[in-house]
Amino acid sequence: MFDIKLAGENAIIIYFGDEASPELAEQIAFYTELLHDNLDDLIIDIVPSYTSVLITYDLNELSHQAFCNQVSQVLTKAIFVKQKHQSDIIEIPVFYDHEVGLDLKRILVEKDLSLSEFIELHSQQTYLVYAIGFSPAFAFLAEVDQRIQMPRLSTPRIQIPAGSVGIADKQTAVYPIDSSGGWNIVGRTPVDLSLNNYENLKRFMVGNQVQFKPIDRQEYLYLGGKL
Amino acid sequence: MSFKVIKAGFHSTIQDRGRFGLAHHGLSQSGVADEHAYCWANHLLANDVNDAVLEITFGGCELLALIDTCIVVAGADLGFKINDKPQPNWQLIAVNKGDTLTWATPKKGVRAYLAVQDGFKTTQHFNSRSVNIRENVGSLIHSGEELVSKPSKPCDTGKAMPAWYQPNYQEPLSLRLLASYQFDTFTEQQRQVLFGQTYKIGKASDRTGCRLEGKPIENTPTTMISEGIAYGSVEITTAGLPIILLKDAPTIGGYPKIGTVLSLDLAKLAQRQAGSEVKFELINIEVAQNLRREFDQFFI
Repeated sequence: MFDIKLAGENAIIIYFGDEASPELAEQIAFYTELLHDNLDDLIIDIVPSYTSVLITYDLNELSHQAFCNQVSQVLTKAIFVKQKHQSDIIEIPVFYDHEVGLDLKRILVEKDLSLSEFIELHSQQTYLVYAIGFSPAFAFLAEVDQRIQMPRLSTPRIQIPAGSVGIADKQTAVYPIDSSGGWNIVGRTPVDLSLNNYENLKRFMVGNQVQFKPIDRQEYLYLGGKL
Repeated sequence: MSFKVIKAGFHSTIQDRGRFGLAHHGLSQSGVADEHAYCWANHLLANDVNDAVLEITFGGCELLALIDTCIVVAGADLGFKINDKPQPNWQLIAVNKGDTLTWATPKKGVRAYLAVQDGFKTTQHFNSRSVNIRENVGSLIHSGEELVSKPSKPCDTGKAMPAWYQPNYQEPLSLRLLASYQFDTFTEQQRQVLFGQTYKIGKASDRTGCRLEGKPIENTPTTMISEGIAYGSVEITTAGLPIILLKDAPTIGGYPKIGTVLSLDLAKLAQRQAGSEVKFELINIEVAQNLRREFDQFFI
């Protein structure tokens, strides 16, 4: 089931559901690829997100109505097949410590957890990439264990160092570059996820699985982490 | 080498048509804010439609020509001069080695475009020369930098845009809006607030978004699940005021959107100063597509 809406003079948005879920995320990843493969010549950009897919297309090739018809045809004919996860789980090493986890202390008090309990709860989970945006290569991961979910800060920080790992409600993410932001910072990865390394553009794709691997201070520094 | 930057100015960046095919990685479209001025500049020079230009916002910019070359300046009147002598926009000008080009302050419009034959050949990032400061892709031009372009072919000096195409950046602007995204979830009364008033362009406007000031829409839908943002989407913030999302905007966002502005009107909007008045009017998709196709067919 899907619902196509106008999004701009050369853009439509397709809704596949009302609520984000791992099942819907898998379907969206599947349909995104399918549409991309079938309508590649017409599509300029395709942006999957939690419940929808935005497509911009070449209006000099065909009209809004004609494009909607083509999209409908592709989607109606398609049979969703649950994908075997072709890719391995992407592992991101994280140094969880007060030294880099600006909000850890507050979270531990509020949630009545020890540091090691917190680390276990955050790192044992396998997360799904639901969306990419906010800034380039910023992957929205979910779902965070209920016991460590935290609302966004009421006032965002002006600068969060690159590599910082944050939590906002059900979501967690790594900030690829220094940026402002309101997520609760719990640790930092030594891995450069910024576009200084062009390969990072393709590190995360919607539908990928991600897991965080706890590392100690020594390993963090050895892997190039900054304090 | 073609120009040496003596003064960078307030906000001057290299831009081309934009960066496409990478929005699913979070890279915004970027590219020139005023497509109309940009297309005319490249058109007059018989350049490729994607050739890179220098987008000069507000002025304060000074360049030294390092070679003889051929240029067009289009868009805003920022008091463009060569060696202290006023020069016209919208026409081919031969520049000689050693000439000093300056843009002082905005007289009419906000953004001027300097185009050279064959375009600037600055570094490409992800298949485009467009700079996006928010994304940390490329940087503002800085004094001492050399802006590279190819040596010029002979210059057809004086070749100009017909006068009747000249835009008036001071006339009242009505933005033609498509009823897109969450348009239907706004009540008739809420829509009336949008279409029934004249907004003022806020100071905090930039290449990412144009913030409008006016009477807020009350009881707006709360934030929603983030979704892909099209160029020109009009977000209604929690405070009830519109933000028109522009070339450097993030690829996804979580505010409800009441519609999407026609791209040809976004080019005009790019030349309006803070404090200018704008209104909204509805347009349907067939008309919008025809207008955009006409524009594309003229230049491509």
